[in-house]
Amino acid sequence: MNTNAKKREKAGAFLRQSSVPIMFVIICAVCIPISGLSPSYLINEIVTRMGRNVFLILSLLIPIMAGMGLNFGMTLGAMAGEIALILVSDWQIVGIPGMVLAMIFSVPFSILLGWFCGKILNMARGREMITSYIISYFINGVYQLVVLYLMGSVIPIRHGSIKLPRGYGIRNTVSLLNMRQKLDNLIPLTIAGVKIPVMTFIVIGVLCLVIIWFRRTKLGQDMRAVGQDMQVARDAGINVERTRIISIIISTVLAGIGMVIYLQNMGNIATYSSHSQIGMFCIAALLVGGASVDKASIGNVFLGVILFHTMFIVAPKAGAAITGDSMIGEYFRVFVSYAVITVALVMYETQKRKRKSLEGQKLAQAQKGEQNKGQKEENEA
Amino acid sequence: MNTNEKSGFAKFIDSFGLPRLIITAFLLLLLVACPFVGADLPTQISNIISRFSWNGVLVLAMVPMVHSGCGLNFGLPLGIISGLLGATLSIEFGFTGPISFVMAILISTPFALVLGSGYGWLLNRIKGGEMMIATYVGFSSVSLMCMMWLVLPYKSPNMVWGLAGKGLRTTISLEGYYNQVLAKFLAIKIGNFTFPTGTILFFAALALAMWAFLHTKTGTAMTAVGSNPVFARAAGINVNRIRLLSVIMSTWLAAIGILVYQQGFGFVQLYMAPFYMALPAVSAILIGGASVNKATITNVIIGTILFQGIVTMTPTVMNNMIHMDMSEVIRIIVSNGMILYALTRKTEAAT
Amino acid sequence: MKKKRSFIFRLIALALIAALAAWMFLIGRGHTVYFDNKSLTAPDGTAYEPWYQIEILKDGQRVARLKAEDRGMVEVMGQKLTVEVKLAKSKDGKMQGGTIGLELPYNKDGVIYNLPAMLAGAQEEVYMSEFIPTPVEEETEEVVVTDEFVLPSEE
Repeated sequence: MNTNAKKREKAGAFLRQSSVPIMFVIICAVCIPISGLSPSYLINEIVTRMGRNVFLILSLLIPIMAGMGLNFGMTLGAMAGEIALILVSDWQIVGIPGMVLAMIFSVPFSILLGWFCGKILNMARGREMITSYIISYFINGVYQLVVLYLMGSVIPIRHGSIKLPRGYGIRNTVSLLNMRQKLDNLIPLTIAGVKIPVMTFIVIGVLCLVIIWFRRTKLGQDMRAVGQDMQVARDAGINVERTRIISIIISTVLAGIGMVIYLQNMGNIATYSSHSQIGMFCIAALLVGGASVDKASIGNVFLGVILFHTMFIVAPKAGAAITGDSMIGEYFRVFVSYAVITVALVMYETQKRKRKSLEGQKLAQAQKGEQNKGQKEENEA
Repeated sequence: MNTNEKSGFAKFIDSFGLPRLIITAFLLLLLVACPFVGADLPTQISNIISRFSWNGVLVLAMVPMVHSGCGLNFGLPLGIISGLLGATLSIEFGFTGPISFVMAILISTPFALVLGSGYGWLLNRIKGGEMMIATYVGFSSVSLMCMMWLVLPYKSPNMVWGLAGKGLRTTISLEGYYNQVLAKFLAIKIGNFTFPTGTILFFAALALAMWAFLHTKTGTAMTAVGSNPVFARAAGINVNRIRLLSVIMSTWLAAIGILVYQQGFGFVQLYMAPFYMALPAVSAILIGGASVNKATITNVIIGTILFQGIVTMTPTVMNNMIHMDMSEVIRIIVSNGMILYALTRKTEAAT
Repeated sequence: MKKKRSFIFRLIALALIAALAAWMFLIGRGHTVYFDNKSLTAPDGTAYEPWYQIEILKDGQRVARLKAEDRGMVEVMGQKLTVEVKLAKSKDGKMQGGTIGLELPYNKDGVIYNLPAMLAGAQEEVYMSEFIPTPVEEETEEVVVTDEFVLPSEE
């Protein structure tokens, strides 16, 4: 009987954890037939979007490991990647070398921004997520200052195709035509009509291996310790502040590189909007894959990308088919993205509170005399 | 003697807050520069006052939740949506003129109460993580309403898309409804200077009511809950009920706030417009000297004047001075920088 | 001791990355190369007449077929370009062929090569010139959209 109860508890925990992915499977299962999209089109799109997004989403894993929650500041890395790409395309470095150069150039910007972000987050302990979220807006202002006013006037930009006609500032879109899908098509492979970006997947695979390896290094272990309990980690002689800053820096650098991969697939930079929503979409995708604020694995990333982007492709068509208005579907997918994040955050916070009150209960039981009083407080809460 | 003076000055900076000092200085600089760059000072000042009057109530909506320890209300869009529902339904039911404003308030109230209760109930379950979840509650509700604006069976030809005959437009003109209804009430006009007496009075009444409320028994209980929840509970205060009340108040004020904003602006903005409306209100009250768990009516007034002052003045002055309109960038950096500053300050009640 | 060693390692890694970046600068420079089959009069008075037809092949693939007074275009990465040319004097004349190796100047985005002059053995400054894109007259100012209210979407 005891084992039965345990089993039931386990099944319940599993269901709770995977409720979001299951919900998404249902949404997709309902929407795919209604949308009327052909399976080959759908698979092609999903494979493309996997290549485009997985690297970016993987950048979120390390701060989660360090207990810093969902890094809404990954936008900073995306901005660093964009600045590097703008410069590289003005220098007319094209193709794969251009991409490699942009990745290299994004790193110093990413390190600087990540360091800034980490510093601030250390000052706002306990509210890392909202702070990293506001940081992304703040740095967006700085980014606009640089790109809209300093580029072309202070930072030399030569090409009229990139610069605004007024002589400074960058145009709304910067073409990456000479870099477009160069990485995806480096090793061309088509299986049953599905184009597979082999090289991009190889890069992603390497990053996955690096993350697995990183978890086992001293620094990775330290991060996990910090994520478990900061005080214990500090007592064990870990420099908590430094570890946290490094985790954010790594995340930002990876996001910068991921953004270069993302944009080479897109083929152009939407200078003032490419980065602004990227954080939200990546976080939503990760959560859809079954991750939570304090626990995320590589498996969550892949599952999340597939489910989230299936919904993303299918929703507008399905919405149009049902209501006759394509905008409904577009609003629907945005709503779902936000709702998923909201639900995940609520689940995380309620579980955190439950854990806390459980600990409180234990403490109260230990102090026998005060047991009754402790119970009363529980009831009130 | 000398050292004494210095410490006095340092104390002043401490109490006033360095960022607020910089922002005040910046605004004063803009005002001083105004005549030199050929901008008309009275017009500018009356602009600032009227924009203050539009936004005041929205900023005031921050106060109750800060007092009860729920933090800054990033979920302001939820209240705004109640206001939008009130506005659109009032027009749909065929009310015009000043009556439509009163009806908009009346209709939006039940929505604000219901949505506010749900929101408050949620926030009571996730104590400590309010701000992030509030942000996303706001976002989710705005995007949900985006669908609703399309689907709900509105009929009024002044609001729906002309061609399709259904689905609300993104902006709805309030001409003939409650455009300027408060602002024109007892308005004082001297040359280029206009004073929107009605709107200011409306704001003053609400602010006074808020001030009075905070001095009632429930109001002091609210402050107690915010500053020390453990102590409040020990004193027999029902913490969850007080918090719920504060959230409902905040949501209702946001609903009223957006209606006041609309009567000044002249349009109802639907769809994605409420999305980022929380951020200006949040940064305004912070610029006014509030912190994550402390806010007064004075903070609201000073903050709104400073924030709206900078928002209105920078485009004119900058454009005339260096022919570069950097106001948007300055606004983003200043307002978000201010929020960051507030979030990073150590506060006693931070958990 | 250990610190010193890791410092040296980091320095080496940094140098390697810098070297990689420099290498990318070299091999990744993109140029647009234009081939002209046009008549040209050199400053010294020599006149070069266009061929009836010139075919240009890069990596075995035809990239341009130029009649007289035509211009063809190739996108190139790096500073070296080797193309195969097939020439015909007249409509049913015999095709001549050969390969040309070109060193592209790093600082020029677009380069024009006048093939008749080049094949006739003229000086480089005669047959090569920089391509300067004609500026669009009176371009209307682009309105920058930094709008926060746009619907988030990927495409």
